[in-house]
Amino acid sequence: MRYPSIFTPIKLNQLTLPNRIYSTAHAEVYAEAGGMPGDRYIRYYEEKAKGGLSMAICGGSSPVSIDVPQGAWRPVNLTTDRVIEPMARLAETVHRHGMKIMIQATHMGRRSAYAGDPWPHLVSPSGVREFVHRGNAKAIEIEDIRRIIGDFAAAAKRVQASGFDGIEISAAHQQLIDQFWSPRSNMRTDEWGGSLENRMRFGLEVLTAVREAVGRDFCVGLRMCADEFHEDGLDHEVLKEIAQRMCETRMIDFFSVIGSGADTHNTLANCMPPMALPPEPFVHLAAGIKSVVDVPVLHAQGIRDITQAERILANGLVDMVGMTRAHIADPHIMKKVREGREDQIRQCVGANYCIDRMYSGSDTLCVQNAATSREATMPHVITPAKDARKRRVVVVGGGPAGLEAARVSRSRGHDVVLFERNSAVGGQINLAAKAPQREQMAGIVRWFDLETKRLGVDRRLDTEATPEMVLSEQPDIVVLATGGRSFTDQVANWGAKDGLSVSSWDILSEKVAPAENVLIYDGISAHAGFGTADFLASRGATVEIVTPDAKVSDDVGGTTFPIFYRRLYAQGIIPTPNFWLDRVYAEGNKKVAVLRNEYTDELEERVVDQVVIENGITPNTELYTSLKDRSLNRGQVDLASLYAAEPQPALQEATDGERFLLFRVGDCVSMHNIHAAIYDSLRLCKDF
Amino acid sequence: MSVAVAVTVLFWVSVATLAIGLARRARLWRTGREADVEWAGLLAVPKRYFVDLHHVVARDPYIANTHIATAGGAFAALVLVAINYGLGLYAPVLDWAILLAAGVMLTGVYFVWMRRRHPPLRLSGGAWNRLPYTLAAFALGLALLTLVPSQTLSAGIAIAALALLLAGSAELALGIGAGGPMKHAVAGLLHLAFHPRPERFAGVRSTALSPLKLSNHDFGTRKPSDFLWTELLSFDACVECGKCEQSCPAFAAGQPLNPKKLIQDLVAGLSGSNDSAYAGRPYPGIPIGSHHGELSAAIVPKLIEAETVWSCTTCRACVEECPMLIEHVDAIVGMRRSLNLTQGEVPGTAPETLSNLRETETQGGHARAARYNWAVDLDVPIIEPGKPADLLLVAGEGAFDMRYQRTLRALVKLLKAARVDFAVLGERERDTGDTARRLGDEATFQSFAKRNIETFASLDFKRIVTSDPHVLHSLRNEYPALGGKYTVIHHTALLAELAEQGKLQLGKSPEARALTYHDPCYLGRYNGETEAPRALLRKLGIEVREMQRSGLRGRCCGGGGGAPLTDIPGKQRIPDIRMADARDVGADVIAVACPQCTAMLEGVAGAHAEVLDIAELAAASLEARP
Repeated sequence: MRYPSIFTPIKLNQLTLPNRIYSTAHAEVYAEAGGMPGDRYIRYYEEKAKGGLSMAICGGSSPVSIDVPQGAWRPVNLTTDRVIEPMARLAETVHRHGMKIMIQATHMGRRSAYAGDPWPHLVSPSGVREFVHRGNAKAIEIEDIRRIIGDFAAAAKRVQASGFDGIEISAAHQQLIDQFWSPRSNMRTDEWGGSLENRMRFGLEVLTAVREAVGRDFCVGLRMCADEFHEDGLDHEVLKEIAQRMCETRMIDFFSVIGSGADTHNTLANCMPPMALPPEPFVHLAAGIKSVVDVPVLHAQGIRDITQAERILANGLVDMVGMTRAHIADPHIMKKVREGREDQIRQCVGANYCIDRMYSGSDTLCVQNAATSREATMPHVITPAKDARKRRVVVVGGGPAGLEAARVSRSRGHDVVLFERNSAVGGQINLAAKAPQREQMAGIVRWFDLETKRLGVDRRLDTEATPEMVLSEQPDIVVLATGGRSFTDQVANWGAKDGLSVSSWDILSEKVAPAENVLIYDGISAHAGFGTADFLASRGATVEIVTPDAKVSDDVGGTTFPIFYRRLYAQGIIPTPNFWLDRVYAEGNKKVAVLRNEYTDELEERVVDQVVIENGITPNTELYTSLKDRSLNRGQVDLASLYAAEPQPALQEATDGERFLLFRVGDCVSMHNIHAAIYDSLRLCKDF
Repeated sequence: MSVAVAVTVLFWVSVATLAIGLARRARLWRTGREADVEWAGLLAVPKRYFVDLHHVVARDPYIANTHIATAGGAFAALVLVAINYGLGLYAPVLDWAILLAAGVMLTGVYFVWMRRRHPPLRLSGGAWNRLPYTLAAFALGLALLTLVPSQTLSAGIAIAALALLLAGSAELALGIGAGGPMKHAVAGLLHLAFHPRPERFAGVRSTALSPLKLSNHDFGTRKPSDFLWTELLSFDACVECGKCEQSCPAFAAGQPLNPKKLIQDLVAGLSGSNDSAYAGRPYPGIPIGSHHGELSAAIVPKLIEAETVWSCTTCRACVEECPMLIEHVDAIVGMRRSLNLTQGEVPGTAPETLSNLRETETQGGHARAARYNWAVDLDVPIIEPGKPADLLLVAGEGAFDMRYQRTLRALVKLLKAARVDFAVLGERERDTGDTARRLGDEATFQSFAKRNIETFASLDFKRIVTSDPHVLHSLRNEYPALGGKYTVIHHTALLAELAEQGKLQLGKSPEARALTYHDPCYLGRYNGETEAPRALLRKLGIEVREMQRSGLRGRCCGGGGGAPLTDIPGKQRIPDIRMADARDVGADVIAVACPQCTAMLEGVAGAHAEVLDIAELAAASLEARP
């Protein structure tokens, strides 16, 4: 039997789950106005249900009280009875596919920003400000405590009334319950602070009220941290003590355990471990909690592979494994496992595009799966075109946009030729994966590589497509995904043409060896700039990274820039924000970089051995220019149809190899990221 | 002394020789164990010969016609000679009749001779190669004798004719008693009379193994004399045609088994000789001439190597093909029983499986409670005492296999769609003991059967349905002898029935690829069920591209008889051969109806046809319904 541990059912209170894989609560940022789960929200979870997941806990940090701001992450609003009806629809929908659903309920205390509706005065045990969210808060009063305990109970009743299978009370990520637990945020001297017993009082009263509200048979779990990683915070031993005492109340049906605190940028980055962290970095902490409790312990964090999950379960470290980001990347994991199609699983690589978007208040999207949370319009499973005739589709460029175009077109049943200039597919992702601790980016390519092979795309590697080659294929549709080239010639004075500066691509591709003393100019502030700096420093170079942005890697999200900064300081890379690169000139065998301060216009010079430019890309348009006039649609995408996720009107036209349609996707139009490139292709090609 | 009198003398001498020879041969047979014999079987021989045996022989019209001419001619001639010369009538008119019979016989012999000039590989040579000549001599002798008028008969011709007759009579009279090829005629007819499975002649697919009486210290077949005497007799009926060899999957895979050689070795054991006289193809990889048998000496390994006994998949293809209706599989299982029960010598991972069975009541060493883990989210009712269900679904060992769980889930979906009142055994289900039995562990099998029969007795159901033909065979055919009598139906038959009754509304299958159907041996040959799966596929709008070996004559997947556990090495794997059969008919999908076949065929390395259970195909059509 394969995966015997995963497919051993487990009981949580009265629920029997068919397998041990679930999806933990996360902020989806999909709820509609007023915090109501709408069509998009429901479809997102329905897809996981269709995919055979045993349970999802939805609504990360869904508030029970009205003094928690709901603007930023659009959680589910558990403060009102109006939420029952849409939640019931959600429950009914996923139950149809056999999945259980719970919701996370919380009061966030100081873990928010007051500046937004309802412009509250946040509460915290001692009114200590929270750093990450700039959470200014007042010291909570007994009246607030009583009110909030009542709110938890009322919210739990709503959850139960909606037909949900359970509720998870959050005491993790420094929310109000664990703000009471932690000496970092609780300096009270009354019966709510001081001794552990006092610090636990609030949480116990919340659970007592919740249990009273929902009765013995409703599933109630507790999400908790197993080590805050702060000198002045809760350590593993104390949290074990807390878990044990909580368990002994017999009010809790499961513990959902995470490692790391979350109230600083650096600890926050641990919570959803990005690719730089080792696999399952905190499972030992969850196992520690399991050693003191006798109800199931659930754990997620960096478990992205099904065999990894099986091993963790088989070793008895935890009772259920959360694979949340893994299911954002591929909601059909369990179905594929059941069907022996593991090699078709689109595996999460830990790029954290999802969570980094969430922390900036944007909806959660997957870097490699453009269908996730767009289920209403974008298919996760591409089915062959029903009536359309078999077309000949030529895709030029094997980067993410081209690979997705080829995959989707082929899945639609067409004959697909894919031209790729290099000897391997992947495009710029292959460069991105060269950066230290970014190697797993290659996992995105791996899946596309396997899928395009499996589906039978006619892949012509090492082949630079010319207009004649494209036309000789007698295409009905040509999709150009030719990407771009490093945009080092935007400023002539950078001297790229004269060899005064080289590009980040030259460095990452190892075309140019790192020199001893290097200045890297990052005009983009995304992953490539720091990645190149780290690449250089890892090979012994002394590196200064210069950017006109407010800080280095300014356009890198909340769980990724801390990783970059850990490495920046560890490698001794000098961060120089707020400077433009005006010009580079040679002086002997040295290069002189002339920097200009954004705010003072003062000039500074750096004498270095090598100047590296990361300035994104400029599109490759040559092939487009030569094919545009020969195409039926003059290379134009009908934007109204594209944005409405409808078929391109031009697809109605008769094509025959002489007369063909021409489209462009991804970077060859203008610089986009991986997700955008893939989305471009999916939304265009799904109707071919 | 006239020539005619000489013939009379020769006739009676021959009869006497034959009688002595037969008596000696019969004494050998009778060293076997007592069998329940119905003497009335003797009366049934003509019907069994002309209907049941001929049904098999007629699959090869050339040899059927040849045999009719040769044997028919010889038989007629012998009867006429007995009358005309044995009784001393010397009537010329009978001579003409003898001449006619000899002519017919000679025609048949000519075709025997023709075939033996370019014999198929499966055919044994050796003593068999002299048959066209000795039989021709007999026929020619008779012809000469009757054709040439006695007045013109010169001494030379008379001597020649008598010499020919003598040669022919030696084959028929002396040869039969001495174990020559012609013994098949007498042993074959007696075998028809005393066949160990007489119900075969009543149109029953008799395939159940008979239970050992363990309390009588009956632990199977260690030495030739441990066979039933009727079995020993049956081995002498073998004509070494090699139809069994040709159909044997283990032989084809280069494993050291050849059913024909096995029977011939047992004949050698019967007569206390070695195998050097055997003139057919050997057990692959085992040279001829080094094995020797004694009636009361252990068969393994001096006469037959253990690997030979453990190579068999118990697919019964040999039995299906045997024109002499010999029961090879019974003989093999008999020997396995002895090896297992008295020596504990079982190769490969089979000992692990057997100990798993004893310790966990599952083959894979699983917790019994885990058998229906795959059904947790499907809301499948579990049968309890006092909680009746029309249908009891027995999933079998396949329930622990993730691949097979897809089939089971599809089946549950179909049962639900048809609104069938069904339940599963849940934790109560234990193995049927089928695999243990095939591996010769009769004790474990009987103990499982006893426990299962007790379990079933406590429950209230009308029929049992299973997707596992091995479970089907066990419960349907082998439990009755131990007191468990149930109506057991295979899932394909049930689904076909439900579809026929309109309870299961199947749509057209979305499967557009070329499809073939692989008959599981335990469904087809063991249970005769070849039509229901095909009917179901037709209902789904699927046209089956039949493989050359299909239906009752289907080729085994290699998964039966515990063969995947004993895992005797060969030159290639049996499922690879079967997959090649599917490739030969251009199939992209190979429909199956058995967890073993699913596992074996899916285990084929490299690109191959997709393996889908009929339940999966049917369930997919539910979604395709308008």
